[in-house]
Amino acid sequence: MKEGKPKNIFIKGAITASFIAESIEKHSVKKNIGGHSIFLGQVRADEINGKKVSAIEYTAYEEMAMQKMHEIREAVFEQYELTCMHVYHSLGKVAAGEICLFVFTSSAHRKAAIAACSELVERIKAELPVWGAELFEDNTHQWKVNQ
Amino acid sequence: MKIRVLLFGQLAEASGVSELEMEGYADTISLISALQERFPTLQQSKYMMAVNQQMVSENTKLSENATVALMPPFSGG
Repeated sequence: MKEGKPKNIFIKGAITASFIAESIEKHSVKKNIGGHSIFLGQVRADEINGKKVSAIEYTAYEEMAMQKMHEIREAVFEQYELTCMHVYHSLGKVAAGEICLFVFTSSAHRKAAIAACSELVERIKAELPVWGAELFEDNTHQWKVNQ
Repeated sequence: MKIRVLLFGQLAEASGVSELEMEGYADTISLISALQERFPTLQQSKYMMAVNQQMVSENTKLSENATVALMPPFSGG
């Protein structure tokens, strides 16, 4: 299912379990799918210099991120035999323990779905103009660094 | 010639603005040096640059109404 136009991938706040469940459920009508692969990014309560991360606040260069995601989407569709692909990223505040990234690929067979999902996650982290500020319990913050 | 400048993440935080308009700069080098004068913290900052949403790494000519984005290392996901 290739799409012509950049899609909005951003969701305000955390990505809920019910949103993810509904997204899975919607695929039951696509009977050529044999395997799904899902990656869920969750905000970790890291402890840095004795202070605990309570949430991450995400900001983005939204227009560019959507355009870039469109390019990545096209490239990954070219590379793997996928039935469909869905990507959602949070904007704004997401509390520790909540989901901030949802990557969902489906294919006739598991290998393409798993490989595409993994590649998408890496490319999203490396190439999308998105920034996370780690907010501490004492209301200070620091800028997240991707590893 | 008007240029729209966007600052993100820690750059926006350090300079106190996320969007501004600059006038009269023909390329990214001259624009950056003017921005560095206005926001001295930029000199020590690590960032990438996009002109009209395309990443650029070398000096790039700017056209009327170009959008130049200064972006710290990405940290999404």
